[in-house]
Amino acid sequence: MNAHHTLRVALVGNPNSGKSTIFNQLTGLRQKTGNFPGVTVDIKAGNLRLPDGREVELLDLPGTYSLHPTASDERIVTAIFANPADRFYPDVAVYVADATNLEKHLLLLTQLMDLGLPVVVALNMTDTVQEMGMQLNAPALAAAINAPVVCVSGRTGDNMPLLVEEIMRTADKKSAAAPGKSFYRFRDIENQVAEAISLNLRVENPYRALLIGHHFEWLPFLTEEEKATLRAIIQTKTFVSLRAQVDETLDRYERFPPLVEKTVKKPQTAPENTTDRIDAVLTHRIWGPVLFTAVMLLVFQSIFDWSSIPMDYIETVFTDLNGWLSERLPAHWLSSLLTDGIMAGLSGVLVFVPQIALLFFLITLLEEVGYMARVVFMFDRIMRRFGMNGRSIVALISGGACAVPAIMSSRTIGNWQERLITTLVTPFISCSARLPVYAVLIALAVPSKRIAGILNLQSLTFGGMYLLGITAALASGWAMKKWLRTREASYLAIELPVYRMPHWKNVWLTVWEKVSAFVWGAGKIILLISIVLWAMASFGPGDAMNQAEVAAQTTAAAKNLDETAAADLIAAKKLEASWAGVLGKAIEPAIRPLGYDWKIGIALITSFAAREVFVGTMSTIYSIGSANDELALRQKMKAARFDDTGLPVYSLATALSLLVFYALAMQCMSTLAVVKRETGSWKWALLQFVFMSLLAYTGAWLAYIGASWWG
Amino acid sequence: MQRRYRTIPDLHLHESARAIAFNNPALAGKLTAMGLLPGSMVEMVRTAPFGQAYYIKADGVRMALREEEAAGVLLEG
Repeated sequence: MNAHHTLRVALVGNPNSGKSTIFNQLTGLRQKTGNFPGVTVDIKAGNLRLPDGREVELLDLPGTYSLHPTASDERIVTAIFANPADRFYPDVAVYVADATNLEKHLLLLTQLMDLGLPVVVALNMTDTVQEMGMQLNAPALAAAINAPVVCVSGRTGDNMPLLVEEIMRTADKKSAAAPGKSFYRFRDIENQVAEAISLNLRVENPYRALLIGHHFEWLPFLTEEEKATLRAIIQTKTFVSLRAQVDETLDRYERFPPLVEKTVKKPQTAPENTTDRIDAVLTHRIWGPVLFTAVMLLVFQSIFDWSSIPMDYIETVFTDLNGWLSERLPAHWLSSLLTDGIMAGLSGVLVFVPQIALLFFLITLLEEVGYMARVVFMFDRIMRRFGMNGRSIVALISGGACAVPAIMSSRTIGNWQERLITTLVTPFISCSARLPVYAVLIALAVPSKRIAGILNLQSLTFGGMYLLGITAALASGWAMKKWLRTREASYLAIELPVYRMPHWKNVWLTVWEKVSAFVWGAGKIILLISIVLWAMASFGPGDAMNQAEVAAQTTAAAKNLDETAAADLIAAKKLEASWAGVLGKAIEPAIRPLGYDWKIGIALITSFAAREVFVGTMSTIYSIGSANDELALRQKMKAARFDDTGLPVYSLATALSLLVFYALAMQCMSTLAVVKRETGSWKWALLQFVFMSLLAYTGAWLAYIGASWWG
Repeated sequence: MQRRYRTIPDLHLHESARAIAFNNPALAGKLTAMGLLPGSMVEMVRTAPFGQAYYIKADGVRMALREEEAAGVLLEG
């Protein structure tokens, strides 16, 4: 190991070992979630300084039970440890084990030890151990497995300095360490396979060779030739991999009880049953779903309503700042770029922060106490039909407020396919940004009359829009499940952890991490698109914008318009002459079958920034931009006629068609940006955009045809 | 004649039985890694609100299993 190499330490452990709490204790804010190309699961990286001043790169690897993975999202850990040349392969592995349930945590530990890399054991949850009246004998375990063992508590932070010291000591000792004897006693066939692989692939460690023998088909670092060699070895030895994996696991387990007896002394008391009592209510046949609905109402209320207070504040601050700036800056396109492009984009990014922070505060809290596993248990059956996971229900419900934080919350879904489907269908759920669009269009086209005495037709249409979104989400989830059908068996076998008080540091760090990931990750894309949209509305081909301005001024003077009305008219004519206007007119033939004119075309383009922009653009085009008056806009829209036929633009059919379009189309650059960030590539983001746009176009067309024919 | 073993869905509420084997190796790999072993005491705690999933305890460890997985755990007696 050369001197320039920074020490890399990886935290390894079972899903409920408290690994991430220890990671947070050791790194605090000096961490980032790596979006590593080709890696679809979260690997967190952070920095840690050793007492001697050395910097350590600390990795938090995904929790797993065994180095023989049973689902594709668990493969990453095996792929790292099977390949010493891997970019994540650590110099020292810190194995985090739950001391209250040691026996279940020894499987992965002994597998790790057999790989011959330096391991430090962090025996976690010593605070709970004390509460339960148990006694731990760390030296006994250390002697039995021949590795240093440190008793720690991730929650209280007890003994963290000791753990760091032990990591340092182990890292220094490393070069001198002799290859230890394998804990697992290989069977004959395993010896033969491992030897053949060692010989052919120059793998020194026998257990690593055996792991490669089990999993070479999907291990990413092997070449096709190497795989062919391995295939030949497995065939000639008639090695039955799956069978051998189970046998190995069982053999290991057989030798754990004496180890556990030496290490843990349990008092003769009744087992913990608070969790049982809580679960008797929270997972109850009737009360379970009822209480879940109540919890989700709270979540929904927080991101729909409470977050609007800071959101309005952020928008006001930006509006005021923009007003202040435009008064002082010279009338130049650079000033406009700053105020209408960059500042508007920044405001568009920051306005999401309250929603993201609130949603993740609540979701992390539910995750921390152990409730999320129960949600998966209760809703697995319903969501699985639509290609999703019990957890997806939280994303879908949150999508009713805003798809951006909702999609970010789907990160915790372990199965990649279920996570992808959740990400792809969540934007169908009608979010709060669709409300102003729905409100204008419904008030415009749907008569406010009562049906059967109590139901208002307008409210009924509103409800119908929500229903349309939910149906589209579930139906496309179902279709994608059929389309993406993988051969990989899908399991629901999850641990339901003991309920615990939340660890607040974990909650705050998650909120911080999600907010900064959004601002720095998706924010860049949102800012960029916002500037492009600004440019399209601010520049026109050649001298067209200037000519339009002059013409509008002449008209205004001729009609004797007051200052505001003149400014509104100029704004409308300039927008018409801009690239956005040109494009709006260019797409008119394509959107005419849906009942739209070029003015709606412009609004379709500008409202890609966010759906609610539709209302603002319509106001500008109908020369009432300054009024901010929905009633005036509705009157203008009602009076609008097609340029050629002279027929009214906003018939019931057009309004319904627009409603359907906005319900189904991915008219939101922030969602696009967040999907790109969460899936790690433009591929899914663009595919989703195309898919949703096509569906919206078809749906809107059918609505137009249907309504024209019927009405 | 082939003997049909009882499996987890056959358990009554709060009934316990010892697991003896699994009906497929992939499932065996998953469940043994989580600590549900041949020899583990399995207790039926409750079924999911909408069915097709079970809340069980294996040697005191709480787990949720789908119908298919639960039916793959063969029980004694």
